[in-house]
Amino acid sequence: MPILELKHLRKYFATQKAVDDISLSIEKGQIFGLLGPNGAGKTTLIRMITGIFYPDEGEIIFDGKKFDPVKDIGKIGYMPEERGLYKKMKIGEQTLYLAQLKGLSKAEATKKIKEWFIKFDMHTWWGKKVEDLSKGMSQKLQFVTTVLHEPKLVILDEPFSGLDPVNTNLIKDEIYNLAQKGATIIFSTHRMEQVEEICDHIALVNKGQKILDGTVKQVKQDFKENLFKVSFADPVPAEHLAIHLFQVIQKKEKEVVIKLDPGFTNNDILQYFMNKGLRIESFNEILPSLNDIFIRLVEGTPTARQFQEINA
Amino acid sequence: MNKILLIIQREYLTRVRKKTFIISTILFPLLYLALIFGMSYLGAKSISNLSVAVVDSSGYFNKGQFERANIADSSLVMTLLNENPDSLKENYKSEGYDGFVIIPASQNWEKGIPNVSFRADKKFGTSAISQLENRLNFLWADIKNEKLGIDENKKLIISTSRVSVVSEDLKGKASNEKVASTIGFVAGFLIYLILLIYGSQVMMGVMEEKTNRIAEVIVSSVKPFQLMLGMIIGIGLVALTQFLLWVAFIFIIYNITKASGSKSEMMGNMVGQIQNTFTNLNIPFILFFFAFYFLGGFFFYASLYAAIGSAVNEDMREAQSLSFPITMLVIISIAMMSISINNPTGPVAVWGSIIPFSSPIIMMTRIPFGVPGTVPWWQLALSMSLLIGGFIFTVWLSGKIYRTGILMYGKKPSWKEMIKWALRKN
Repeated sequence: MPILELKHLRKYFATQKAVDDISLSIEKGQIFGLLGPNGAGKTTLIRMITGIFYPDEGEIIFDGKKFDPVKDIGKIGYMPEERGLYKKMKIGEQTLYLAQLKGLSKAEATKKIKEWFIKFDMHTWWGKKVEDLSKGMSQKLQFVTTVLHEPKLVILDEPFSGLDPVNTNLIKDEIYNLAQKGATIIFSTHRMEQVEEICDHIALVNKGQKILDGTVKQVKQDFKENLFKVSFADPVPAEHLAIHLFQVIQKKEKEVVIKLDPGFTNNDILQYFMNKGLRIESFNEILPSLNDIFIRLVEGTPTARQFQEINA
Repeated sequence: MNKILLIIQREYLTRVRKKTFIISTILFPLLYLALIFGMSYLGAKSISNLSVAVVDSSGYFNKGQFERANIADSSLVMTLLNENPDSLKENYKSEGYDGFVIIPASQNWEKGIPNVSFRADKKFGTSAISQLENRLNFLWADIKNEKLGIDENKKLIISTSRVSVVSEDLKGKASNEKVASTIGFVAGFLIYLILLIYGSQVMMGVMEEKTNRIAEVIVSSVKPFQLMLGMIIGIGLVALTQFLLWVAFIFIIYNITKASGSKSEMMGNMVGQIQNTFTNLNIPFILFFFAFYFLGGFFFYASLYAAIGSAVNEDMREAQSLSFPITMLVIISIAMMSISINNPTGPVAVWGSIIPFSSPIIMMTRIPFGVPGTVPWWQLALSMSLLIGGFIFTVWLSGKIYRTGILMYGKKPSWKEMIKWALRKN
């Protein structure tokens, strides 16, 4: 059963169709990548899911029922891209305050904070102020405050910005951990290598519309160009490469990149090379990276969205 | 509802625990007392010890007369000399005088004496001049009495037969305009201070949440409106706490002076006077309305300041320029206050105390003069309901601006844009 279903969501601002008819379905326990260039409408979409904005049109189904911000907000943890903490407030008190705002009791919150602080090696921080923390440290704290109340749905907007590789891995492991325990994670970013590594499922948003939706594997299959890299034990004579089966895209002494012509299969190529008596060392299909797909899809979109007239 | 309590609690505690709160709570009354005592001390000091030489060309004045007056009030010493003005001009300083007075010759005492001139190398201010004038008039009156043949008995009759007007209400109870206007002034001024100081605190608090980028984190847990209201109420309670501490402070000082008053006669008189005037006034009544107008005015203005705070970015100057019209409204109210105290039933006072933006200050200056005498019940009821309606409106309006503004970064919006945000549905 999906934890979150968006049905034809729309949100128009005075000068922009920020979200223009987006439908999505996110399964429980998924790590879902919400991708899109700057200004695509990701933040507006997330703000509707977190109850900050009301959609102009459409419906949000959360955990099988119509989304009710007042009731369901405690089951969601949201780490916005524009995030911060009260600088002058003590860290322990601040974490407690944010947890209580999410509906935890004081005792319950204190217990959980202590657990997390020990886990993240932060137990000496309790009486310190946020202004004493480095950027990385406060990011870690921010993550803790986001997931402390064990939300069913965790929404992370650029969670790794400002983190060093060690802390990035720490948070990444926690994200896997949460997903394993049954939480669903929406991960919004434009860092494609992280998406490829972490996410099961992605949706790509551009100009307020969804232009792509599927598992990472499936998307890559859909966008593959039938490219293969073949390497040989001996140099390849050029005359063997002029054949109707494929086109050569790139050629080195012992290695070629070829594009399969439609109507033929992988086996046809292998058979052909074997018949020619060439010794094959490796044969790999080249799948496009998400980065390539992303760039291909949003290419031509101006870097900044143009203002448009809205008649709504 | 529970969440809004949490927000109020946080806003209240972080502010009350601050050193600046504790210091300002203690320091403000002390500074105020120091200012009052310091001013009266300096004021008393600046008049004393003026020593003036007098040259009398009219020949009416005599030396003994001046000496008797000098003994009666030693802050001004006038000495009649037989020098001519020209030599005095050279010598007055070396002879130890601050300046000299020339009384011109007079043809006929019945027509009085022409302008007396006071000459000195520096200026002494109006209070010194009027002191001189009063002294000379006093002496001149003596001379006239003598010429007219009025003896000591008749003089006494003349000086005691003054007409005094006492202001009373219809039941014949004495009303005390002076005390009423003092209390009105203090109450109005306190509300003015609270509106400006704590109003801008609300604005800065909202700006802080925005610059710290915590606003979006919080509004994913609570409604923006709850966050705004929580801050306004929290800071309002801080203001109330500070005010109550000051009241307690005054109460303690009053009781201490009362206890020690039995020893010194002057203190005893003062305490007696205060008790006397306070029994004429309905203090709980005034305090109730003070609390009402203080809270109503605070909500009215604080929510507007919150809206401004949500709309601007880090820049303090942006905030100042955008909040200028609102600050102006408070300042206009304080300007209307003095008119209202002088004439508490005049049109400025009446309308000023009914229109919500000025009513917190103006109504408080009128209430001590008496309800329903000076302020009819209908005016009070209208003013109170308009203020309640007014702050509900500004809180509602600001809530809509706040909701959009708190999540907007970048360019400072214009008033026009903010009104657009306010009018937008959801």
